[in-house]
Amino acid sequence: MTTIGIRDPHTLAPAAEDNYITHTKGFLSWIVTLDHKRIGVMYMVAVLLSFLLGGIFALLLRTELLTPGRTFVDADTYNQFFTLHGAIMVFLVIIPSIPAALGNFVLPIMLGAKDVAFPRLNLFSFYLWLLGAGCTLLSLAMGGFDTGWTFYTPYSTTTTTGGVIPVIVGVFILGFSSIFTGMNFIVTIHALRPKGMTWFRMPLFLWALYSTAIIQVLATPVLAITLGLLVVERVLNVGIFNPSMGGDPVLYQHFFWFYSHPAVYIMIVPAMGIVSELIAVHAHRHIFGYRFIAFSSIAIAMFSFLVWGHHMFTSGQSALMNTIFSAISFSVAIPSAVKVFNWLATLYKGSISLNTPMLYALSFLVLFTIGGLTGLHLATLSTDVHLHDTYFVVAHFHYVMMGSALIAMIGGLHHWWPKMTGRMYNEKLGMIACTIVFIGFNLTFFTQFMLGSHGMPRRYYDYQPEFQIYHVISTIGSYIMAFGFLMTAGYLIQSLISGAKAPANPWGGRSLEWQCASPPPHDNFKEQPRVGDCYDFSIVRWDESQKGYVVDRSLDPELDEGAPQTAKA
Amino acid sequence: MMSIHHILAHLAPATLAQAAAPAAAPAGNPMPEGTIPPDFWMPVGASTIAGSVDQMLAVINWICYFFFALVVVLMAYFAWKYRVRSNSHRFRMDGPVHNTPLELTWTIIPLLLCVVIFFMGFRGYLDFSQPPKNSYDIDVTAVKWAWTFKYPNGAQSDDLYVPAGRPVRLVMRSSDVLHSLFIPAFRVKRDVVPGRYTHLWFQSDAITGADHGYHLFCTEYCGTGHSNMNRRVYVLGETEFNEWLEQQARWIDEIDDEELYFKAGPKIYARCSQCHSIDGSMGTGPSWKGLWEKVSGGAGSDQKFADGKSYRDLIGPGKEYATPEDYIRDSIYNPGRHLVSGYGNVMPTFKGQLSDRATDAVIGMLKRLDEFDSKGQWTKAAAPAAK
Ligand code: HEC
Ligand SMILES: [Cu+2]
Ligand SMILES: [Cu+2]
Repeated sequence: MTTIGIRDPHTLAPAAEDNYITHTKGFLSWIVTLDHKRIGVMYMVAVLLSFLLGGIFALLLRTELLTPGRTFVDADTYNQFFTLHGAIMVFLVIIPSIPAALGNFVLPIMLGAKDVAFPRLNLFSFYLWLLGAGCTLLSLAMGGFDTGWTFYTPYSTTTTTGGVIPVIVGVFILGFSSIFTGMNFIVTIHALRPKGMTWFRMPLFLWALYSTAIIQVLATPVLAITLGLLVVERVLNVGIFNPSMGGDPVLYQHFFWFYSHPAVYIMIVPAMGIVSELIAVHAHRHIFGYRFIAFSSIAIAMFSFLVWGHHMFTSGQSALMNTIFSAISFSVAIPSAVKVFNWLATLYKGSISLNTPMLYALSFLVLFTIGGLTGLHLATLSTDVHLHDTYFVVAHFHYVMMGSALIAMIGGLHHWWPKMTGRMYNEKLGMIACTIVFIGFNLTFFTQFMLGSHGMPRRYYDYQPEFQIYHVISTIGSYIMAFGFLMTAGYLIQSLISGAKAPANPWGGRSLEWQCASPPPHDNFKEQPRVGDCYDFSIVRWDESQKGYVVDRSLDPELDEGAPQTAKA
Repeated sequence: MMSIHHILAHLAPATLAQAAAPAAAPAGNPMPEGTIPPDFWMPVGASTIAGSVDQMLAVINWICYFFFALVVVLMAYFAWKYRVRSNSHRFRMDGPVHNTPLELTWTIIPLLLCVVIFFMGFRGYLDFSQPPKNSYDIDVTAVKWAWTFKYPNGAQSDDLYVPAGRPVRLVMRSSDVLHSLFIPAFRVKRDVVPGRYTHLWFQSDAITGADHGYHLFCTEYCGTGHSNMNRRVYVLGETEFNEWLEQQARWIDEIDDEELYFKAGPKIYARCSQCHSIDGSMGTGPSWKGLWEKVSGGAGSDQKFADGKSYRDLIGPGKEYATPEDYIRDSIYNPGRHLVSGYGNVMPTFKGQLSDRATDAVIGMLKRLDEFDSKGQWTKAAAPAAK
């Protein structure tokens, strides 16, 4: 039942089976591909494998913490566990997960473009990522490192573990991978927007990626320089940060957080972008307060450069500095709060499908609210002094980094999974797994707020017996969460093998990626598509023959130029 | 304002769950007078600022409970009310797309709240960022992985003893890497940074006596023994404190020479045990087992240092160290000079921290190491002495 004007991707596809996966064949065709979709998929696989590795370290360290003192490894091994867990999760997983993996796949399609602006640079940044990851593995082989993911000096320049230099080189290289991706996205969004897609018509995910890219490009070089100096100090014994050679360890902290605080937003802003998409698409409802959300992304990106000092309230920096940094830190709370209220308002009078991506979006809302609100305790000077460097901080940033950034990324993975793979996954299992992860997560990390406020410092191998009960609950929670993730991996792999074929638009999305086939053809679109309001769901309706939704462009007043927007190849 | 805080503090789920969370209370003693009892969120509070920090925390908590409830209730209600089950359902189009007054409201209310919280926190912080003039100063040195507290009369201790009822200022430095001194019951924390002095002050009016102290932790990651840099803080009444101080200044001098190695040795070894074992097991530093034989020309004296020289090359009349004792003393005061091969230059110097008499005690202990068990306790005689 095809009416004229309805864009039907399946009949448009040149050959029924030609899509980006089948377009060319063989291992070689993947590793030299310039197709943003394949690069995105390769990133995704690599990031998920790193997530597995980082997760294993998390489980190991949680297991060690079941009892005070030794449970099954010694203190040095434990120190390696938490360091590796942190470094892998931050540098190999969360930073690249949304922009490089999902962003790469989705961004050009959302723009209606054939690819990113610089496809070669895109592939190059993937190889840089691999090289950086390789250095990290090399460091493991060379004795690992026990510096904490923050590499604070002078500990990091004096520790005897053998893998410090390789991992720093690795993070340095990963930084460049991130910078190149950011540059690529900025140019792509500026140059390749199609006719009709003004800035304020971009899907909010693109605003988020754009803000993120700005931070990546501006902040990451500082990390590179800092790590470079660290290597110089360690190898050549030039005193930069080590006071016994005339350096200043607090200087390192300023440098490090000048990058790493913005890096927090490299992780969370794209996640917010995903949540805007998830909520709008699965509530089939125009996003509420588009401009406020878009501007709040930019505002967060800007503020993120001015608050690094809140990591150093107890470092001995002057009271005036502390005051200024405390004040600016609060300002980040406001755009975050605005977003949460706008998302809530988007649910109001929506037509909500309670499916797996939506469930992840709702989990995000709850966890991000907790993570964000507990930021207040830490931005406030008098309470931060007590809470700094305790498990309270650990819990806070896990709510934001994992409960928000990673949960959003997994929600996004489910959302775009049919598009990426052409298969549907088992919806019921998806919802069950999401619930298990949610419960496990809260068991793991809520207890850590209480540990921290009661005075349990972070990065502790041994602890006072009165803390044990919290640690036991937390560890059990982490096992539950791990089970949820394994289950997710299980049904996603199963869907690759025997999942139902996905329609072009399984959810009722409105933005351009739902208007090309699943999986998309090599070129995404044969002809640059025209763009309407990407949150206007009034023209999206169910089409029984495709078992999916269609965007009925003939109903869109902004698009009626007589002829249907179809291309005949 | 104050009274509101009080009410809030008492309302907190705190009171409900007091029994659930007695963590970090002073080790198992009845609460000293003048302390704030532990609650659902906070451990026992025992300093003059603890009350205001806890009130601040309670205010923030209540703001959080309110907004959390608001978000979750609205979310759950909308998600339930507006859910659709079938695909063919037509999407409703009556939801508002934006509403500037509403959006401004939920921008401005959080903004105002943030301003309020900021100022309250800032006031509280000012209260304890400047130490009062008449404070009692204690020098603190952090090394991997021990604290040394030095009092104006020259006394030293591994645990912190403070006088009740007067402001105490800690003047802190580190001999190696970053550390951070944290006393949860006092709600204070300050990093200890190599190459500069940092300060921390507090006042506690809650006398604990010398049996049960509050926790003192290191909260800046510093390597293997980071989690074992926990000590106790004892708050003593004025006379008790002065007596303790007197006795502490003299303890090592009061021991007879012959008894020095087993009375003082184990106490000092407690500061080396993080790295050096007695029974030969591996550690951050070389085990002391067999060390005396090596330095005095016996078994293993041809073992080479990282710089290629052996013990025999270095120790002996006319050589770099005339006697084995000289070598040991120099190893303690200038640890990096000759690195034992296979180990890094990570031993902190104990110059200025261990007196000559204290190093004599270590040397005496090394000479008769077989009289000590693997924990460093003297086992030779069931003497009542070694406490
Ligand atoms: C942070 C760990 C650490 C602590 C604490 C520590 N040491 Fe060491 N120590 C080492 C290391 C590592 C070496 C070997 C490298 C070197 O020679 O500096 C060493 C070497 C030594 C040596 C020379 C041993 C030999 O085989 O020649 C002596 C003697 C010594 N330490 C005494 C002490 C005493 C006494 C204390 C306590 C007051 C102490 N150390 C505390 C790490 C430590
Ligand atoms: Cu930060
Ligand atoms: Cu420490």
